[in-house]
Parts: sequence; C-alpha cells; structure tokens
Amino acid sequence: MAATQFVVNGLLVGALFAGVAVGFALIWGVVDIINLAHGEMVMLGGYTSYWVLTLVTGNAEGSPLLFLATIPVAIAVLFGIGYALQRILVSRVIGTDIFLTLLVTFGASIAIQQLAIQAWSANPRSIQVSFADPSMNLAGIVVPKMKLVAFAGALVLTALLYVFLQKTRTGRAIRAVSQNPEAAALVGIDVEHTRAVTFGVSSAIAGGIGAFIAVILNIQPQMGLIYTLKSFVIVVFGGVGSIPGALIGGLLLGSVEELVAGFMSSQWTLAVTFTALIVLLVVKPNGLFGQGAEQ
Amino acid sequence: MSTSDEESRGVLRSVLPPEQVDRFLSTCDAYGWQLLAISTLAAAALPLLGLEAGYRMTVFTEMFLFAILALSWDLVGGQTGYPSFGNMAFFGIGAYATAILTKDFALSFPVAFLLAGLLAVTFAAVIGVIVLRLRGHYFAIATLGVLLAAQQISRNLDITGGASGKILLQTPSGETFYYLFLGVLVVEMALVYYLSGTRFGFVLNAIRDDEEKATAMGFNTTYYKTAAWMLAGLFTGFAGAAYSLFNTFIDPQTAYNGAWNVELIAMALLGGSGTVAGPVLGAFGLHTIIEIVETYAVGWQLVLLGGAVIITVIGFPNGVVGTLSEYASQMDYYKHGGMAATDTDDGSEVSADE
Amino acid sequence: MSKATSGPAPDTDSGRAVLRTDGVTKRFGGLTAVDDVDIAIHSGEIIGLIGPNGAGKSTLFNCITGALTPDEGRVYLQGEDVTDWPEHKIARAGLGRMFQETRIFGDMTVRKNLLLAAQEGGADVSSLMRRPDSSLLARTDELLDYVDLGGLAETRAGRMSFGQQKLLEFAMELMSEPEILLMDEPAGGINPSMLGNLIDYIRNANEEQESTIFLIEHNMDFVMDIADRIYVLAHGERIAEGTPEEIQNDQRVLDAYLGRE
Repeated sequence: MAATQFVVNGLLVGALFAGVAVGFALIWGVVDIINLAHGEMVMLGGYTSYWVLTLVTGNAEGSPLLFLATIPVAIAVLFGIGYALQRILVSRVIGTDIFLTLLVTFGASIAIQQLAIQAWSANPRSIQVSFADPSMNLAGIVVPKMKLVAFAGALVLTALLYVFLQKTRTGRAIRAVSQNPEAAALVGIDVEHTRAVTFGVSSAIAGGIGAFIAVILNIQPQMGLIYTLKSFVIVVFGGVGSIPGALIGGLLLGSVEELVAGFMSSQWTLAVTFTALIVLLVVKPNGLFGQGAEQ
Repeated sequence: MSTSDEESRGVLRSVLPPEQVDRFLSTCDAYGWQLLAISTLAAAALPLLGLEAGYRMTVFTEMFLFAILALSWDLVGGQTGYPSFGNMAFFGIGAYATAILTKDFALSFPVAFLLAGLLAVTFAAVIGVIVLRLRGHYFAIATLGVLLAAQQISRNLDITGGASGKILLQTPSGETFYYLFLGVLVVEMALVYYLSGTRFGFVLNAIRDDEEKATAMGFNTTYYKTAAWMLAGLFTGFAGAAYSLFNTFIDPQTAYNGAWNVELIAMALLGGSGTVAGPVLGAFGLHTIIEIVETYAVGWQLVLLGGAVIITVIGFPNGVVGTLSEYASQMDYYKHGGMAATDTDDGSEVSADE
Repeated sequence: MSKATSGPAPDTDSGRAVLRTDGVTKRFGGLTAVDDVDIAIHSGEIIGLIGPNGAGKSTLFNCITGALTPDEGRVYLQGEDVTDWPEHKIARAGLGRMFQETRIFGDMTVRKNLLLAAQEGGADVSSLMRRPDSSLLARTDELLDYVDLGGLAETRAGRMSFGQQKLLEFAMELMSEPEILLMDEPAGGINPSMLGNLIDYIRNANEEQESTIFLIEHNMDFVMDIADRIYVLAHGERIAEGTPEEIQNDQRVLDAYLGRE
C-alpha cells in the first residue's frame, strides 16, 4: 500500500519533470545545444508566477483560478527570455566546439542564479493556493488536489507543445531545422529565428512548469541545476527529441525518487538520481551514440 | 578558425608586430626551465622579504591553489580534449580525506596528505574507466553527475559530518600552506612542461585533435587519457587535501563546489588552454579580479564569473597565450611559402621558394 | 619491427604475403558489404583496389585495420592472425593507414605530427617519457625537405593547405615505416601538378624503401600507372584480379563499371 502511494506521488511529480525535460530535449534536438541554463528557466517561471500573484493579492496566496491565471504570464515572460538567450548568446557559439556551448550556457546559469539571489534573496519561497478541501482520498491513496492540478497542467503543456510542433507552420519549420538546417535555409526558413523560437518555446514550457513547482514544492534561486540534470537523465533515457520518451522518463524518474524517499530517506533522492545518470550513460552508450549527438 | 577579422589584424600588426611576439614566445619557450626556476625562487622569497601571514598571504596561497586546479583541468580538458565539469570531485575527496584522517584517525598532516592524494588517484582511475568512454556532451554531463553525486553522498554520511561539515582546528601555519601549495604547483608545472615535450604529451594532443587517427597510428588511447585523468586527479586531490586544513572548515558545498569548477575552466581558457603557462596565468589573473570583486562587490562574483566565461568563449576562445602564439605563427607560415596555400599548385610553389 | 614468426600461420598459397585476407565477410543488417574476399599482397608490391561506389572497398580496409571486425574470415599480417586484435595493436604491428579525408593533427605543429608517427620504441613507457632525441629530429627535417615542406616544421598543421596536409600525412607514414601502407584515395581532391609529385613519392618509397602499398583509387589513369596488380570489387565481391592490362581488358570489370550484371 505504501509503495502504491509512493508511486502515485512519484507520477504526480514526474509529470512536472517530464515537462521540463521535453523543452530540454527540444533544444538539444533542434539546436544541438545542451542548455545548462534550462533549470534557471524553471526557476524564473516560478518567480514570475509568485510575483504576479503577490502583485495582485498582496501576498503569494490565492484561489486556484487566480493562480492558473498567472501561468500565461510566466509562459510569455519566459518565452521572451529564452528567445533573447538564444539570439544574444547561444547563436554566437553554434557550430563551434560543443564544450564552448556548454560553458556559455553554464556561465549564463550561474550569473542568473546569483542575480536572482541578489534580487530575491536565497530563501525558499512558495505559493499558497487555498482549496476548501486540499486533498482527496481514492481507495486509500491520498491525492492532494493541487498536485493533481499540477500534474494535469504539465500534461496539457506537453500536449500543447506536441500539437504546436505537428500542426503549426512554425512547428514544422522547427522540425525542418532539426533535421537539416542547410536544407531548411534553402527552402526559405529563417534558421536563426526558428532556433530562437525553439529556445523561447522550450523556456516557456519550463517557466509554466516552474509556476506549478512554486505551488507544490518551493522555489529558490539555486534550484535550477538540479532540474537541468534531471532533464538530462530523462532525455538520455527517453531519447533525444522524443516527446513520449521524455514523458515516460519523467514519470519513471519521479516514481523512483519517491520510492527512494519513502523507503530510504528523502536525503538520498538526489544521490540516487545522479548515480542513475552515470549508470545510464555507462550501460546505454551505444544507444546514445546512435542519436548522432556524439561529437 | 579565425579568418574573418583581417582588417583589425592590420592595425594590430603595426602596433604589435607578429615577429616580435614570435621572438618573445620562442625566448620563453627556449628558457622555460629557467623561467620556472626564477619564478619559483621569487615566489619562495616573498615571505622572507616581508610577506606576513594574513590576508595577503592567503590571497597568494589561493592563487597557487587555483593555478593547480586550472592546470590539472587543462591536462585533461585542454591537452587531451576531454572537458570535465567534475574535476572538483577529486578536490572534495582529497579535502574530506585529510579532514577525516587528521581529525578522526589522528594521523599527522603529511601522512594524511599523501593518503588523500592516493585516494583521489584511485577514485580517478575507477571513474576514468567509466566516463572516459564517453565523448562530447555525454562526457561533460557525466562528470558533472559524478561531482554532484559525490556531493550528495558526503552530505548524507556521518563520517563526513553531513550537511554541516567538519570544523578543523588543529592546522599548520599559514606559511606552511603558502609553501605547500607553491611546492605542489611548481612540481605540477615542471611535470606538465616536461611531458608536453615528450611523445606522451604529443599523444594527448593527438587524442584531442583526432582520437580515431591516433588509434589508427597504433596508440591505445584509453591508456593515455586515463593516465592524464589520473594525473589531474592526483594534483587536484593534493590541492583539496591541503585546502580543508588551510580553510579550517569543510562542508559538501565548499568541497564539491560546482561554481569553482566553472571558475577553473574559465581560468584555463582565459590564459590559454593546452599550454603550461596559460592556465597558471589565467588563474592568477582571474583570481585577482575575483578577489577585488569579493572585496568591493560581495555577492556579485558569480555574475562576474558567468560574464567573464561568456565573453571569453565568444570573444577569444584560444585564450591569451593561444591567441598570441597563433598570431605569432602567422609570420612563420607566410615566410615559408604559406601564401601558396591558397593557390592551386602549392607543391611546386613551395619548392621554388626554398 | 615485429617480424612475427610465432603463432599458427597457415601458409598456403602465399608464403611471404605481407597482408592476406581469407574469406573476409562483413554484413550490415541485411546488406553484405564485403563478401568472402581473398587477397594477398607481397612485400614490395603496389596493389590497387578499385570498384564502383558502394563496392565495399572502404569496408574491406576497415576490416583489415581492425576498425571493424569481420563477421567471417581471417586477416593475416606478416603471417600472423590479427583478425581479433584491437586497431591500435594492428597498427603497431606494422600496418599504416592514410584516410580518404586527409587526417592530421591540426592543432599540433608539423614536427610534432611527424614525431608522433615515429614508431621507434613503440608504446614503451620509457621512450614515451623521453624528449625526442636529435637523430629523430634530424629525420623529421629530412622528411619535410623531401616532401617540400621544409621550413614549416613549427607551423600549426591545420594552417596548411589541403595538399600540404596530404603530403604531411604521407611523410608521417614514411616516418613510421610500416610493413604495409593502406591508402584510401590518395589522389582524391588534389590538383594535377601535386598528383605528379605524389606519384613520384609513392614510387620512390616503393623502390628505395621497399614499401608495400595497398591503395583504393578512383582515378584510373593514376592507378593503372602505379599499380603492379589490381583487385576489383563489386557488390562486396572480388570480381577480378590481375595486372593493369588484364584488368583493362576484363569484360566483367567493364560490366561492373557500366552497371551491367
């Protein structure tokens, strides 16, 4: 029974990990960049939602609907930040040594972290959403309503991305650039703009997820790197550029972490995650290299 | 690589002629051992000439520390082409090893120091076998994963003092650490400088440039890159081993400091990676700047560091030494018929020149 | 050099073959890239390997050098079975290779490229840990002068033109003095005047240093001019073998090139 409860908790959180990882995978697949500042987009999204809510209500509390109304703002702001990040910084190192691209995004990551500390202090914050009856009980398993909302929200965002990539003109351009930038340029696609949009869209989803994280967990300026690495674990597991793969990877990682927390101690979850990363890289190197991401 | 900025080169050439730079660099190269010896003597003499234990000596000691870290990183990242984001794992292991051995096992510092180095090398060997099979993104992220896993583990163990770390009160004097870090740095510089002139060093560079070709030429590249990785682990481990007592305190955040890992990469790149002097000069330069920022603008050093990294990478990825020597070698090339390189029939042109 | 005398070396048709393959087969999924190919190359020969695109020439090279392991068949170097050896060990045993796309170490100086190629002392630790001695340095100067790259010893190799890089790669092979040198399209992408030089260098190496050379080539004039014997591959199979004259008059070869079966 306890195990079921842990798995349910894990799946609820795992959908959020998956949503973050999907954007990470998209940038990796389309721009061939590992964006080490991706976790900072989650953090910034959380803070955006937090401050919008504070602006409206005077403190970071509100009804579920009011909170949900802040998410489009977080998405819009983070789209802009992601777009600018690509245009101003990342575009300058595309096509050079991949190590340099890692350094640039890592440089951006630590700079954003400390700017956030300067602006908002290092204290963890969270958004309080008031439910009349905060959790429900399904056959003995406790499901907090807000976690359910976050779960659904993450799935909706992921689904929206999928539809966007499949159905819209911009989405098709993104897929074209991911397959062959030269050919895409030849048929008249603005490759640089498309890459920047990819960054924007990925960051926007991360930002939206960040808002949910601010409600069900908490936000803190230095939280980003952990989400970046979790995304890496998930993408390595699920395959670069695969949205279903990222979804399954995210749900699995969430479950594993909750099981570790439940049966061992929550202190060990991160150690297990990072060890899983290394083990995954070791046992699956051929599958990884098959993705063509090897230098 | 760098071909687009021809006009700016023209101005530069009249202000700073490449021949002069070339002459300067080859002089440095020819007298490498002498330069190293003179610098060592000068640094060793400073405390005798009135540098007293205190803030200034601490700053100098930290410069040596970062130079060790940057040079170790560069041995694998710059010379061999395997850029690691996890070097600080060796540092942390060395740091905790001396902390635990001196405090909990009451070993003397020298013994603990040597054991800590040994432990770091052993760890490097084990981890190296695993991560050095990976390339590119995967290698970089796997090493970062190693660093963070090590950090998490030390946070959860009792022997490491958990998240609150260990306070170390029985420590040698500031002067001891000044000479210890200086000594380790000099030994490492001498070793790297020596190796860079041997075929062992050439093989490392060959792995960086084209690992497949190096294999096809008969080199078992796994063996060489693991050796370089273990050397880096040894010196980084020594640096950590001395640091915990020098700092009188160690916790997971300082021992496995991810920001430091970026800092030492930035130092190597700024100075010029793939050279001996580059990472050391980069460490001295960047640490001075960071020290100033920490004095006058506390809490902004990571913003500055991030900015410095971005500007370096975008502006001049070859670093100071790399850019200079590339600039200097232009002349050498043109003098020897290199102009013909753009022509179609270069073979005959070159021979006509000689 | 390791003139191997040990090991079970089934010496059948070719007692002094430097390189011999026996029924080498390599499959990728359903495609048989190399199909039961036998070749034998003797000391001092220059052997050509030709065939239409996709005939399996480069795959055969990869099976010989150890970059790929054949699914069936054996590879013998100096009579020793090297089929399952790792690539670097085969190279160490005297097999040199020049790649189709010229491959030199671009960020190292020309001289270091050459010093790296010197096989003296092999991978023995004490020799690797010593600085190169003066005789080795003199040898690098000599070779650079020989291929008209004298004076460029301290230049970064990646700065040189494509043709110069090709010459450097060739000089590196001369430096290492392999028992047999595999060249993948040496004439590809270089201009006619340089091609003339290259032919001279290859001939000289063959005549004066008794180098054994096995080369893939698409330039028919070049290969007919330089090779003692030629093997022809099509669809992974060896369809012909003989002197340049015989090959030029072989109906099956003409058919293969014209696309008839």
